[in-house]
Amino acid sequence: MKKNKKLKRLVLGFLGIAVFLGIWQLAGTLGWVSTKILASPTDVVATFIDKLTNPKPDGSTLPQHIWASLKLALIGFGAACVIGIPLGLTMGFFKGMDHFFNPLFEIIRPIPPLAWIPVILLILGIGTTAKAFIIFVAAFVPCLLNSYVGIKRTRTTLINVAKTSGATDMQIFFKVGLPSALPMVFTGVKVSLGTSWATLVAAEMLSSSVGLGYMIQRGRTIVRSDIIIVGMLTIGVIGAILVFLLSLLEKKIAPWRNKK
Amino acid sequence: MKKTRFDRGNLKYYALSVLSVSLLLLAWFVYSSSANAILSTPMEVIERFAGVIRSPIAGTSLAGHIWASLKRVLTGFIVASAIGIVLGICFGWFETFRDIVWPIFSIIRPIPPIAWIPLVILWAGIGETAKIIIVFIACVMPVVLNTFAGIESADPLLLDAGKVLGANSRQMLLSVALPDSIPTIIAGMKNALSTGWMAVVGAEMVVAREGVGFLIISGMDNLDISLVLVSIVIIACISACLTFILNRMEGVLCPWLKLENK
Amino acid sequence: MAEARKQITVKGICKSFQNQEQSLQVLQDVTLDVNENEFLVILGPGQCGKTVLLNILAGLESADSGTVEFANGTPKYGEIGFVFQRYALFPWKTVLQNVEMHHKFQRVPKKERREQAMHFIRLVGLDGFENAYPAQLSGGMKQRVGIARAYATRSNIILMDEPFGALDAQTRYQMQDEILKIRSAEKTTVIFVTNNIEEAVTLGDRILLMSNKPSSIVREYVPELPRPRQNTDRAFMDLRNVIAQDMDLAL
Repeated sequence: MKKNKKLKRLVLGFLGIAVFLGIWQLAGTLGWVSTKILASPTDVVATFIDKLTNPKPDGSTLPQHIWASLKLALIGFGAACVIGIPLGLTMGFFKGMDHFFNPLFEIIRPIPPLAWIPVILLILGIGTTAKAFIIFVAAFVPCLLNSYVGIKRTRTTLINVAKTSGATDMQIFFKVGLPSALPMVFTGVKVSLGTSWATLVAAEMLSSSVGLGYMIQRGRTIVRSDIIIVGMLTIGVIGAILVFLLSLLEKKIAPWRNKK
Repeated sequence: MKKTRFDRGNLKYYALSVLSVSLLLLAWFVYSSSANAILSTPMEVIERFAGVIRSPIAGTSLAGHIWASLKRVLTGFIVASAIGIVLGICFGWFETFRDIVWPIFSIIRPIPPIAWIPLVILWAGIGETAKIIIVFIACVMPVVLNTFAGIESADPLLLDAGKVLGANSRQMLLSVALPDSIPTIIAGMKNALSTGWMAVVGAEMVVAREGVGFLIISGMDNLDISLVLVSIVIIACISACLTFILNRMEGVLCPWLKLENK
Repeated sequence: MAEARKQITVKGICKSFQNQEQSLQVLQDVTLDVNENEFLVILGPGQCGKTVLLNILAGLESADSGTVEFANGTPKYGEIGFVFQRYALFPWKTVLQNVEMHHKFQRVPKKERREQAMHFIRLVGLDGFENAYPAQLSGGMKQRVGIARAYATRSNIILMDEPFGALDAQTRYQMQDEILKIRSAEKTTVIFVTNNIEEAVTLGDRILLMSNKPSSIVREYVPELPRPRQNTDRAFMDLRNVIAQDMDLAL
């Protein structure tokens, strides 16, 4: 019975995608919509294969765009994790840290990541540093926030158990607070990865000459929907792969979380 | 013993908070007062803010810009909530529908809303419709996902209770599964509104003639960093207001939730 | 006692559950009769299949083999009252709305279903709380709502799945008195599941002892004790000890 259900799900899923692609293809072939505005699936596949090696018309091949974006995203995201997580954890655990940094954090917290783009571009110029910094700011907030809340939610019983067995503050921080905050830290890291990837696209759309965001923006100015769609799908797939890799890492580091 | 707000321990911590904010302001002041700094001083920003309130920018008053953005985000949000909830219910309740449509949905899902901007502009031009569609795309995902999750994880005990009380399958959905998912759905809507706000700012930054996103980008184009900072403050304030209003709505719509969290 | 009319006949019920690695047999050849208007207690240790048996009677789960026959024809959903251990009240509905849920599903006009619901709310002693949300009530009060809701279906069979299992001892005693009072007002067949021997002896017209997994009915007791029963009575304590010994053997 269970096997049948899985099979049914698989068949229906493929059917759904096939119908979707079919309608999309027909829409172009039968002239319901102009292929200029909505390239048909076959065009998209052709463009994808072509863009793997062809730098025209936007100046770089697809792998070059991907690499440019990925590099930026990972630098900004990595920096956000390295700074945001320890800061969030210590803020959540040590009262003095909390009172010093919390007001500053509350000031930047409600600012949508995209709003940082103009300030940072004006101050740091339009180079790689500026863009990496934009992504850093976008990714920093969820990283810090979740680490902070995560360690604050450490059960008092656990802390008391550690205290009564004579643990020092430092030992409690590393052996009790840190592990119990870990699941929420991971949630924050996942959120911030998503945010940094989305912000990256926006930053590249506004100011860049390479990268996936630039590629789709360029595709719009020269009215090449095939390039836009290839870019969008690439952005989506890479985003999904990054999240998937993070979940794998999470299972390694915090295996107790997903057990039911 | 009664603790006063200002016993000595707390005072130390308050001092730390005051210290950090003053340090930030000081750093800003020192940095922006240097000869060739790009950043404007706090005073300049306040002056600019007063100026923005007094005189219109690019032919539209400040209120006009804010209203333009709000109108876009609310229209997109409301349409997305209505469609998203229905779609989420279909995913959560009708297995065949889910089996057919879910794979398509999961391919589209990871594409950030901002990345839709070029394609949507190709489809709908640079007018209002395009911006509303982008907000719609941004808002619909979290609503669908949360409604789906809420319905799918409806408490089996309550479903059993509904069954033994004689609910038919329509009543099971509308009177048991759906109300049980309301908190999750509202969480999704909150998420949607902040994502939608991001998307409208983004869309206006790429192409617009009014709205807060336009405001911030025109500040950038004219090297008017005071205007950029003023816009950031406005964007952040509206974002906070929207969250506040939705939180309030949650209290009104689900009075039982507050009681449970007590 | 006069010849009792059989209301439910359960024959040879077997049920097992599958998870990925193994199959677990929960019920093995469970056979029992339920008489009309009796208070039948099914007593069994912690994790035996008592709840599963009730779910099968209510139609929430189906047996792998065996039959359940109802003298008046198999009831549809809504024709058997069910009291859940964990209350299962709808948190977004007030006490009144919870109790009238069955009639709402049956599309009974508002005025009539309100009257019906109020009758049962009064019966369980919750008048004055009809507009409270479940979150505002204590555990005992929540279960009163659960009982009112089950009785409000006007079923002649009420199933109770360890209804007082989540309550503290003091509240539990109160609720046992309460349930007997309700029963004297509303004559129905009650099948009451518990793991508490004293509770079984206090309440049951008849007690069936279930063994541990795979469970089946191993013994039947008919307490010849006058009501109201006192747990300090000699006969009460004797019966309790007998059942306790049998239960140890059954484990």
